[in-house]
Amino acid sequence: MATGRPSNRSGTAAFGFDWLTVALVLGGVLLLYYVVPMVSLFLSVPVGDVLARMSDPAVVDSATTSLLSASISTVVAALFGLPLAYWLARTDGAVTKGVLAIVVLPLVLPPTVGGIVLLTVIGPGSPLGEAAIAAGFPLTRSLAGVILAQTFVASPFVVVTAKAAFESVDRTLEYASRSLGKSRLTTARNVTLPLAGPGILAGVTLAFARAIGEFGATMMVAYYPRTMPVQIWVAFIELGLDNAYPVAILLVLIAAAALLILNTVASNPWE
Amino acid sequence: MGMTLELSRLCKAYAQFDFGPVDLTVDDDVLAVLGPSGSGKTTLLSLIAGITGPDSGSIRLGGRELVGFPPEDRHVGVVFQEGALFPHMTVRENIGYAATAGERVDELVTLLELNGLLDRTPPTLSGGEQQRVALARTLATDPDVLLLDEPLSSLDAPIRKRLRDELHGLFESLDIPVLYVTHDQRTATALGDRIAIVRDGALEQVGTPSTVLTRPTNRFVARFTGTENLFDGTVTDRTADETIVRFGDRRFRTTASDPSTSAVTGCIHPSRVEVEAPDGGGDRTPNTVTGTVTRWLNEGSAYRVEIEVDAESLALTANVRPPTFERLELETGSEVRVRVPRESIHLIPERE
Repeated sequence: MATGRPSNRSGTAAFGFDWLTVALVLGGVLLLYYVVPMVSLFLSVPVGDVLARMSDPAVVDSATTSLLSASISTVVAALFGLPLAYWLARTDGAVTKGVLAIVVLPLVLPPTVGGIVLLTVIGPGSPLGEAAIAAGFPLTRSLAGVILAQTFVASPFVVVTAKAAFESVDRTLEYASRSLGKSRLTTARNVTLPLAGPGILAGVTLAFARAIGEFGATMMVAYYPRTMPVQIWVAFIELGLDNAYPVAILLVLIAAAALLILNTVASNPWE
Repeated sequence: MGMTLELSRLCKAYAQFDFGPVDLTVDDDVLAVLGPSGSGKTTLLSLIAGITGPDSGSIRLGGRELVGFPPEDRHVGVVFQEGALFPHMTVRENIGYAATAGERVDELVTLLELNGLLDRTPPTLSGGEQQRVALARTLATDPDVLLLDEPLSSLDAPIRKRLRDELHGLFESLDIPVLYVTHDQRTATALGDRIAIVRDGALEQVGTPSTVLTRPTNRFVARFTGTENLFDGTVTDRTADETIVRFGDRRFRTTASDPSTSAVTGCIHPSRVEVEAPDGGGDRTPNTVTGTVTRWLNEGSAYRVEIEVDAESLALTANVRPPTFERLELETGSEVRVRVPRESIHLIPERE
């Protein structure tokens, strides 16, 4: 590939690798490593077979639980995360840095550890957990437990991504709005939110994708009702790999949809 | 109506820079705030607009204290440097965003010639159009004071000139105080009823453009407003209507009022230096010297000519109009006669 280069003809760079090509070859190996298993998954079971097993009550139940819980977790994350993101974007100083570190903590914490941490507060045996059970609203082994686990792990995506989106909105525009007589709240609604919209949507999408794929913390907090990732685990352990395929394929499709949203209406934070 | 803006003992300390104390009163006229970048011009506007709070001092508008109130409760209109139009709204929506009355919007749209732009969005507008929309958006709220932060600085010269003319007419029609921040002396003198010169967060001089230009109170103001000829001088004699001042070995007569010290700085604006042909009668006439052109530069509307005065250590800079420059056939090395009118020498007392 590098033979046409003048430096080669002059002989001064006999070992003059085209480093860009080398980089592409190395990267290509990694790309294949991503794509091949994905394709292999779709090829490993006949389409008809997958469709037939999609109607299996266990699959339907897990899909329902996952979609419902992930939707609620995302709404909760947005409800509490967007104000925090706005505050983080519009304040500076040591306190801001500290708060941001706390927000990022669930992102770097192993999810199972996240589950354990949650159990110490909401698990049976903890005062809060006992009170909830007494009230007939258990926080573990329930949909509420699934939502709590997912929110813990997924909500930082809303905060971190929306913070960047708010920061990208020129503060002069907010000052302009306020000097025109509009309150901080009206300004946030009419100027900041619309301009930060695509970034916020990206954060919400990422949070949803993370919530629906949540396994570690959910396993610890609420094994029942089964979410899709838990169902995959159960099917794999009890019935073998083949039986885990249908739900796995569903999750791949949901992930693909999230990517589609990120690259169209939302502003992809990693671009 | 007579709205008055009064700043008293206004202070704001930053890590690198202290603003104030500033005392300033602006009635319903235009005050051009002129200073180099980093001098505190924008801080002044931010304090009045409520974007930042002062450490101490007060800001009163029509007798009402503004300090402590958020920007939205101040009725202070601001036109920001790049316009700060809302990019997700059309021109119509921008102007109507906080308009007090529909008729005022129509009036401003006509006045600022925005009719053809109403359905466009800000990113599709030129810089001049954006500034006109920003001005309309601010005026539509009927503010009690108008602040403008270098609205023309990012525009090309012809558009800047045209918009400056438009602004001049517009400001006449407003009966509120207008503060116009700029680092460009021409814009300041063209638009300001008065000029405030700012340096290092303090007001150096406030006065009419002609006062500030011809009678600067210190060297900084003189230099910043284009007085390039500054000489250390000594007052040697005073009569009823004249002061005799010595620059180097040469005495000049000036009508400048008697300064409080005998050590002075003499200021002569280059545009007031008259350059003539050398054969006009020697240097017997008062305030006339002969010299040699050492450098010249075509600055468009005038030639900037540097002249070394014969046998003196005086180097004078003169602005020479192109017809004069061509008639005298000036070039480097040309002998010239230089006359400085008595009225054109201003004296600044030495403070130290």
